Amino acid sequence: MLDRFLGPRRARQIQRLLRNGKLTLFCLLLTVIVLRGNLGAGKFGTPEKDLDEIRETFSYIRKRTEPRRVLEEATAAQGQQKSSSSTDGTENGSNNYAEFDIRKILKDEDDGTEEFKRDPSLPYSLGPKISDWDQQRAEWLKMNPNFPNFIAPKKPRVLLVTGSSPKPCENPVGDHYLLKSIKNKIDYCRLHGIEIFYNMALLDAEMAGFWAKLPLIRKLLLSHPEVEFLWWMDSDAMFTDMAFEVPWERYKDHNFVMHGWNEMIYDQKNWIGLNTGSFLLRNCQWSLDILDTWAPMGPKGKVREEAGKLLTRELKDRPVFEADDQSAMVYILGTQKDKWGDKVYLESAYYLHGYWGILVDRYEEMIENYHPGLGDHRWPLVTHFVGCKPCGKFGDYPVERCLKQMDRAFNFGDNQILQMYGFTHKTLASRRVKRTRNETSNPLEVRDELGLLHPAFKAVKVSSS
Amino acid sequence: MGSDSTFAAQKRASGGLPTTVATANGVRGRAASVIPRGRQIHKTFNNIKITILCGFVTILVLRGTIGLGNLVSSESDAENQQLIEETNRILAEIRSDKDPTDPDDQTGEFLNPNVTYTLGPRITTWDEDRKVWLQKNPEFPNYVNGKPRILLVTGSPPNPCDNAIGDHYLLKAIKNKIDYCRIHGIETVYNMAHLDMELAGYWAKLPLIRRLMLSHPEVEWIWWMDSDALFTDMVFEIPVSKYNEYNMVIHGYPDLLFDQNSWIALNTGSFLFRNCQWSLDLLDAWAPMGPKGPIREEAGKILTANLKGRPAFEADDQSALIYLLISQKDQWMDKVFVENSYYLHGYWAGLVDRYEEMIEKYHPGLGDERWPFVTHFVGCKPCGSYGDYPVERCLKSMERAFNFADNQVLNLYGFRHRGLNSLIFGIRCIQAVDLGASYYTFISEQHYAVYKWTDQEIFSSRLYNERVLKTYRL
Repeated sequence: MLDRFLGPRRARQIQRLLRNGKLTLFCLLLTVIVLRGNLGAGKFGTPEKDLDEIRETFSYIRKRTEPRRVLEEATAAQGQQKSSSSTDGTENGSNNYAEFDIRKILKDEDDGTEEFKRDPSLPYSLGPKISDWDQQRAEWLKMNPNFPNFIAPKKPRVLLVTGSSPKPCENPVGDHYLLKSIKNKIDYCRLHGIEIFYNMALLDAEMAGFWAKLPLIRKLLLSHPEVEFLWWMDSDAMFTDMAFEVPWERYKDHNFVMHGWNEMIYDQKNWIGLNTGSFLLRNCQWSLDILDTWAPMGPKGKVREEAGKLLTRELKDRPVFEADDQSAMVYILGTQKDKWGDKVYLESAYYLHGYWGILVDRYEEMIENYHPGLGDHRWPLVTHFVGCKPCGKFGDYPVERCLKQMDRAFNFGDNQILQMYGFTHKTLASRRVKRTRNETSNPLEVRDELGLLHPAFKAVKVSSS
Repeated sequence: MGSDSTFAAQKRASGGLPTTVATANGVRGRAASVIPRGRQIHKTFNNIKITILCGFVTILVLRGTIGLGNLVSSESDAENQQLIEETNRILAEIRSDKDPTDPDDQTGEFLNPNVTYTLGPRITTWDEDRKVWLQKNPEFPNYVNGKPRILLVTGSPPNPCDNAIGDHYLLKAIKNKIDYCRIHGIETVYNMAHLDMELAGYWAKLPLIRRLMLSHPEVEWIWWMDSDALFTDMVFEIPVSKYNEYNMVIHGYPDLLFDQNSWIALNTGSFLFRNCQWSLDLLDAWAPMGPKGPIREEAGKILTANLKGRPAFEADDQSALIYLLISQKDQWMDKVFVENSYYLHGYWAGLVDRYEEMIEKYHPGLGDERWPFVTHFVGCKPCGSYGDYPVERCLKSMERAFNFADNQVLNLYGFRHRGLNSLIFGIRCIQAVDLGASYYTFISEQHYAVYKWTDQEIFSSRLYNERVLKTYRL
């Protein structure tokens, strides 16, 4: 066709040009696709990012303000390289902890007996069904008057349960924050006469992860009939109000106390309408029943995946991931309100669970304007670092903010303990302490400001022993 | 068009093979042999261009799928490196002892050696004051259910350990102590503050003990325990009635103490102090060797000179106490009980290898060399960088001791570790089925083993705090 307008040679040249152009364009297209698929092309991103973006616009995730951070030590990697080449030489082992690879001792021993495998065709259950726990428990309490379920007229016996993984944390400072967290709980519980159970055992391999608390709670309820309330608390939650005593009387007609809002659960079925990071569960038949109702979404694998899809569909704003215990509880309460609702108390008058994001920056303001013992937004009982995951490698928030704020929250709570002895942290960020009261030669005449040394809620019944 | 396409096809064919211009078409072939220079160069250029292009695409694909490391460093790599550096910085800052916000963080000043150090203003009437307080506050008695109130005190430095594994074992150790104290109704204090910067390190327990004694008059006994000591007998209870006439209970050997003046005659890793005037006086007498700096150095020399077997290093609280008790024997020894009938402190090296033997032959509740009460990992120092023993041995042994003790707790709930060396992953589930009059029968879930508790075990398990002996309902 072009022959007619231009000479034949010209036409051929142009055609050649066209073909080259086509070839070039084709290769360019290939390049762009490959680039995008593998490296990402800046703003345009990778196809995976596209998928994520689509997901994000349709869900309400606990805010990702900054991209994830990988927490690992480059020096440690180098160190391991060095040690792996040098361990052949050291027969009796080195004395240097920095060179030691913990994986050497983290192997599981086999004692010969076979692993117990549950029959997958049967529905999951936490244990044999019990229907008369209230009677059994009442009998036991009668036979054991030395272990009453109420340690003072209005004060039930409470067992605080928390736990962490038996393996060292992947994050090198994760264990340190776990240690601080348990110290914080020890302090609160000592002041309030609460016992602690720190769990490091995975009682049921199928219920791993956030579901591990269910078999543990059931086991503890059944093994300790003298315990009236079981208080589960996550390892990343800290007490920030040492003077606040939970109003036990308020819950005398309820069996399950969680922080949350009734409208968000029963009307909206919002997946963050309550929080299962810190809750109270009474030791009774009702609790065993709700645990049995709660458990079926938990077993690892297909069950949990499918349950996750169901929950994302049914609950408001829930992102797509496997079933977690919190969403499952929202679903149960939302759909079976008549069965369970009357015995569930969704507490919002004080921070039985306090989301850290809105609290940690206000500590100085709180110190200035308020005082411990309030438990609510003015002085939160619990500051819960949801999403920080200090023990793992990836959290939902930047590492520096998480760790620094955990330090501040810890010091905020610790100050209330130290003031009993006349000390305080130099600043909320500092580990050092300074004196607030000089030592005297009449220590018994000194009263601590908050009255925590010998508080009323710790007083023992005056009985003839 | 047709001729053009063949021409183009030949062009493409010849593009890959710059040298062999000999084509299928003979006519073209003859013509190709006389292709002018310019054309050849042009062709070569084109070939090179295409080669480069294909090469580029290949590298990209390779990088995307296999990865070629630093061959082509991209932006995300640099970003990762930056992230890693930043997190390293954060970790280093968290681990360092320096306090960036502290205006007067001074490390250079030491106490004047001419001034005698004191823990606080001298108190002389503590016994009477305490008695009056107890009378005025009957809701805080010092005896509960016939047992004296005991406060277990332990602690660790406020900084993260030099290496991550140290913190992990601190965590396991405190869990171990929580378990023992829950079973025996003892309160715990975990200290992470340096109450007195002069008495840092192993001396930090002195101001802490004094402070707690004075703030808690309702506490009868203060039990200091090192962070590297683990309870390995969960049933054994300290026979406090044995110590009615004494004010301090410490593990040791009197002959090593008085005859040989050995620096390891006593162990201050686990000891009890009664809350009384005598204890305050002893603390005041003990403290002077402690203050950091020249005082501690000089004291160290004195101690090395006077105690048998002591290496040369600064004064430590244990040597100082031994020296004090030896040199002022008459003043203090009548109220100090040197206990060695059970392992209030048990040196780990001789115990950890025998756990399996103990499980086979004995039972919890004995507290002595048959089933040690406390296994104390002296010298392991998992929180620091260097220990006195090989790391692997230390950590393996600590793991074993922890599991040995944890088994006794898990047993209450029908579980145990798979083996002493394993982590908790392996849990054997045992189920109580029958509650006969004289024994509890445990049948494992797989119906493999029937573990019958003998009368002896029932007897010792009755020594458990009674709340623990209950029907197991599952």
